[in-house]
Amino acid sequence: MSVFRPVAIVGAGKTPFGAFPDQDLRALAVTAGEKALGNANIGPKPVDSFYLGNFAGPEFTGQNHLAPYISTALGMAGIPSTRFEAACASSGAAFFQAFMGVASGIYDVVMVVGVEKMTSQATARVTEILSEAGDCATEVKAGSTFPSLFGMIARRHMHDFGTTRAQLSAVAVKNHENGALNPDAQMRKVITLDQAMNARPIAEPLNLYDCSLISDGAAAVVLCAADRAREFNSRPVKVLGVAQASDWVALDQKPDITTFAAVRSAAKKAYAMAGLGPKDIQFAELHDCFTIAEIVAMEDLGFVERGRGGVFSAEGGTRRDGAMPINASGGLKSKGHPVGATGVGQICDLVQQIRCEAGERQLKRHSVGLAQNLGGSGATCVVTILGEF
Amino acid sequence: MNRTGIVYTETVVHLAPERFAADVPYQVIIARLDGGGSVTARVDGERVSIDDRVIEVEPRDGIPYFARSQQL
Repeated sequence: MSVFRPVAIVGAGKTPFGAFPDQDLRALAVTAGEKALGNANIGPKPVDSFYLGNFAGPEFTGQNHLAPYISTALGMAGIPSTRFEAACASSGAAFFQAFMGVASGIYDVVMVVGVEKMTSQATARVTEILSEAGDCATEVKAGSTFPSLFGMIARRHMHDFGTTRAQLSAVAVKNHENGALNPDAQMRKVITLDQAMNARPIAEPLNLYDCSLISDGAAAVVLCAADRAREFNSRPVKVLGVAQASDWVALDQKPDITTFAAVRSAAKKAYAMAGLGPKDIQFAELHDCFTIAEIVAMEDLGFVERGRGGVFSAEGGTRRDGAMPINASGGLKSKGHPVGATGVGQICDLVQQIRCEAGERQLKRHSVGLAQNLGGSGATCVVTILGEF
Repeated sequence: MNRTGIVYTETVVHLAPERFAADVPYQVIIARLDGGGSVTARVDGERVSIDDRVIEVEPRDGIPYFARSQQL
């Protein structure tokens, strides 16, 4: 029994992800926003409210008050414009709020933009800014970085379930293989299992090829009440379910770090809203900020049994021709990870597959897709399920 | 009064933020404490593994440090 209005995505657009020294944060956001409006065949005027997902724009660029800074540049002066911050799940969280704005009946048409501009800072500084998504008084103070938090997750997953170095690398090899076919991906490079296993260590057991990239980029979608979807675009996509959940920021407060309670909780609610289960999902975009994160996510979402994610990956189950294609876009690993843009970027990737516009990466089964956007080491998770209209 | 516990998980950090750059490589653990609760800490001395017993040593710069426990 649903008490809310059905919601559709009628426009989607993103910039390529990569290093773009000539484009500042606002230029990236406006490019993506204009693409999404164009894709919906509308101008800025019908948009009732603007939602921005951005993690650390003020620290990366020195500019704050970013939502109206961007929405006015898109020609939307006057409407509510608000920024949402939830670490790497910032634009997933913005999308969730935008969905509720339409589902509640308050708004008919809304825009969500996710953006991050990271490459203007040196890697050590980027690592420092990202680490602020952890608990600064405890784990960060002790020298934890995001790679090290996920390194500790990987180490425990290996200990508890026998997950291997080669299984982690199978995730990286597969995502690079997919990303090589994605014209918008940052790293369009196929890598071998040997390369992936023997790259330089970052935070053991994770090495360079277990880690996602430092990126600039933006992504945007236009949502509207489903009963108005046909007014805007001939290719609307339906939001079947979306949910957000939270957990402790500090990894050491979680009783078991080989599973994320926030992912399980968000998934349970999103599945219930959609009236679907894991078996009904045909493909997924998962938050592979690190290879181990993709393995844990597929387990928490119920695609495989707990502890089986590594084996399933190494057996090819997540490849484009596998039983559950994961990150056909190339994932954060190869596509790039402009953190505030990632959640909406995943949603754009689902839309592209559902509309059958993914070119060489197009999947055979593409009617129902799921996106999982993770913030920090599991303190925020947004799960979104989209389907054919 | 030194806290004791068991290594729940560990990593060795090779790429650190600027303020810890001089420390790499360094080991970070989550220890489950005998008195209950958990702590994220650095390791002093030889490298430790999951399930090793550890004991707290002198903190440095406000960072808790643990070392492999000598008693078995």
